[in-house]
Amino acid sequence: MEHRYEYKTSLWVDWCPGCGNFGILTAVVKAFEELGLDPSKTVIVSGIGCSGKIAHFVNVNGVHTLHGRAIPFAMGIKLANPELTVVVHGGDGDLLGIGAGHFVALGRRNLDIVVIMHNNGVYGLTKGQASPTLPLGVKTKALAKPNIQQAVNPILLALASGYTFVARGYAFEGTHLKNLIKMAIKHRGAAFIDVLQPCVTFNDVFTAEFYRKTIYKLDEDPSWDPVVRKPEEAREKLLNAIERSLEWGDRIPIGIFYVNEYVSTFEERLSKRLYRYPDTNPSNAVIEMNGKPILSQQEFEEIFKDYIVNVEI
Amino acid sequence: MKEIGIILGGPQGAGLETSMAVLGRALARKGYGVIADREYFSNITGRHSYIHMLISSTRLPRSLRYPVEILASIDAETIFTHFDDVVEKGVVIYDENQLNKNIDNIPSIEDYTREKIKTKLAKLGVSPVIKNVVDYLEKERNIKPIEIDFTYIIKLLTQRFKIDPRQASRYVSGLIVSAVSIVIGLEEKFVKYGFEQQFRERRYLIEHNIALYELVNDSIARFRNIVKIDEPKIGLNKLMIVTGNDVVAIAKIVAGVRYQSYYPITPAADESFTIEKYEYNEVNGKAVGPIVVMQTEDEIAAICSAIGASLSGSRSSTATSGPGFDLMVEGLSFAGANEVPVVITYYQRGGPSTGQPTRGSQSDLMNAVFAAHGEFTRVVLSSGDHVEAFYDTIEAFNIAEKYQVPVIHLLDKFLANTIASIPVPDIDKVRIDRGKIVFNGPSYKRFDLSNLISPRAYLGSDNIVMWYSGDEHDEYGHIVEDPENRLKMYSKRIEKMKLILEETPLDIKMGIYGDKNPDYVIIGWGSVKGVALDTIETLSSKLRLRYINMKLLWPFPRKEFLEIVKDTPSERIIAVEHSYGVNIASLIAMATGVTVTKKIAKFTGRPITLNEMIEAVERIIFKNERHVVLSYGA
Repeated sequence: MEHRYEYKTSLWVDWCPGCGNFGILTAVVKAFEELGLDPSKTVIVSGIGCSGKIAHFVNVNGVHTLHGRAIPFAMGIKLANPELTVVVHGGDGDLLGIGAGHFVALGRRNLDIVVIMHNNGVYGLTKGQASPTLPLGVKTKALAKPNIQQAVNPILLALASGYTFVARGYAFEGTHLKNLIKMAIKHRGAAFIDVLQPCVTFNDVFTAEFYRKTIYKLDEDPSWDPVVRKPEEAREKLLNAIERSLEWGDRIPIGIFYVNEYVSTFEERLSKRLYRYPDTNPSNAVIEMNGKPILSQQEFEEIFKDYIVNVEI
Repeated sequence: MKEIGIILGGPQGAGLETSMAVLGRALARKGYGVIADREYFSNITGRHSYIHMLISSTRLPRSLRYPVEILASIDAETIFTHFDDVVEKGVVIYDENQLNKNIDNIPSIEDYTREKIKTKLAKLGVSPVIKNVVDYLEKERNIKPIEIDFTYIIKLLTQRFKIDPRQASRYVSGLIVSAVSIVIGLEEKFVKYGFEQQFRERRYLIEHNIALYELVNDSIARFRNIVKIDEPKIGLNKLMIVTGNDVVAIAKIVAGVRYQSYYPITPAADESFTIEKYEYNEVNGKAVGPIVVMQTEDEIAAICSAIGASLSGSRSSTATSGPGFDLMVEGLSFAGANEVPVVITYYQRGGPSTGQPTRGSQSDLMNAVFAAHGEFTRVVLSSGDHVEAFYDTIEAFNIAEKYQVPVIHLLDKFLANTIASIPVPDIDKVRIDRGKIVFNGPSYKRFDLSNLISPRAYLGSDNIVMWYSGDEHDEYGHIVEDPENRLKMYSKRIEKMKLILEETPLDIKMGIYGDKNPDYVIIGWGSVKGVALDTIETLSSKLRLRYINMKLLWPFPRKEFLEIVKDTPSERIIAVEHSYGVNIASLIAMATGVTVTKKIAKFTGRPITLNEMIEAVERIIFKNERHVVLSYGA
């Protein structure tokens, strides 16, 4: 009989009514359900802000970490136990502001982790300051003056950093988002989904109404194929993705921008150096026997012989 | 002679570190004890670096002293910098091509240092040219000059082996090793062993260096045994030759570390390099590893990923120094809040800010003990020497996992870069304690309040789901701001400190040495140990002294400390530290109420040497001084 898991915790979800995060939560739960992920082998690692709380609302292992640092926590979790499915959730301030260095580093590593960014253009929990994705000159309602800093383009940054699965979803396009999440989890390597997420309380510019009018699906165009099907296509597909990533304003694309499974994952790179990895890994390697180290005196001296000098008598 | 002190000096990049390793192994092979500190600038090529070494025929030395018997120089700057450090009847080895070098023509000397040296030489009536300095040493100080034509010898070597002249400079380190060996009477076969151990499969380098030894021998054979070291009488048949970085790396592997993260920083990075070298080994068909050694994008990622790996069940650690630790502090606070076992190996260097990145210091005691917001249990453990560092590294992991706390292993640059001969560690003495681990299914509570230590499950354990949060949380790990839960959870984390104090054995808390009924008690921690022990031993004929080597710095072992000093009035306690504030005194005052007012401080970045420590103790005891600041050493 198929084992069914309950993917929602019983906690009250304390986001504002109408928050885009509800859409993301529903899509995540649905994606996990459809993939039949074992909650004990799945970890949501989140940062700080409204998005960070999602770790508590999903009934899989949850690690609710520090502002901007979800990715390095997730990296340690995944490297130590590569068997785990690891999904990072962070806001745009979290991942592209305070945590931007880690965001870039994950792309370079192509470690098999999914990053879902709740992108609402503001720092909600601290009452609506401008975030790194809010365009220059935009004045959302909590701001005293229009935003004086430029926005970073999350899709472009992810592509430049080396993510091998790059997509954008919309919080209230539930089925579409769920499918993106499923594909991202199945993808081998670092996957990034930029999720447009209206903040009903603090962002009165990029609202649900705004997105309803502007978003379109990339795959509406039957000729759009973001998947690198042969290694030599990588450059062309990347250039196509970069071009599409620049679209914003009247028409905002959602869907998959780029997929390239020809880049080695970090786990594969490690397994070339660390014989037996990932089957034997930091979480399951034997390190003691009956309270003693696994090395005997003789074995210790054998391994570290470069440091041992036998005195010539 | 029973013991010989040596300075080997030359420009950074000339291979002095290699000289130190070759000479260390060669001497150990014959059964001598060796300790050598490496002093260098934050620079890749050209600045003055030197090795300060002590060789002993009767013991494994644990401190350095001035003056030295041998000054062996690769360049003129070494002579100018150290000419005053050589004892009467000592020797100075130098390259005759440097004789006409004027200090004004050495751009690598800092202006401040140049002026200082010129003033000193002017007072002695010596013009700042090498040949005059050497003359002065010979005539006024009775120091034997040993002149070698470096250029000629290297030319002979390169011609004989058809070595590319651009590679010639890499043989200077072997030349200096050869010269020192000849002067102290170390036989060729031991020097050869040193080269073999150093260069291993690069057979040609071994061959070239042995030929080089013979060329140097031809040139200075008349000086053989001029500062002869006695035959060794230590009686150990096996020695380990390790730096502090090496010994900690080796201990981590024995302890079972399987995830080590780091961001490159002096003087910690070599530790991670050594672990990486041994990332996977098989011995007798047994796998040791794999160890994931991760160079992260910054120290924040280093600590956070180490915590992540620990949550997955790996023994996990990171290594850094002050600036890196500062970046790790928020992660440390997370580890405290989430009861995560993780080890931070913290090699102190000179601060504040970039400070003196390649120089030693113990000025971060308070940083290690108090950095981070909120209150929680952390353990700060220090080690007095290489042997302690080995066993303490393993104990750091045991404490971390047993009590589910972050452990800071507080070391310093002196230990990190000092090479020492130590007995081979006794693996039978090592134990591994991973603490309470459970696999108990669906209703698992990660932060179960029924005990101070909640049984730990790893992420990924079958049928277990758990939560962690930097927010205050309930027993399941979910965010809860209820005041009653806060009180219980917050207290639980802090009260583990009592448990640690109750259960930790005395020898992990402190080491007690010297006279049982002392006139004076000296207190220090970390790398003060060796010089303190040699001081109390040297002064034992006139003073009854005891040294307390504080190891568990936090939580502070108040009870045992008070017991040990109960018969010693506080004005008879002297605290020593490589810092301005001698901050251990403040920590003691805070934790025990004992006010230590006699202090010996050194914060130049150079280690406290025996001569100055003895003088400082005498000044405090016989001249009633309270606060002695030391500064010897270039």
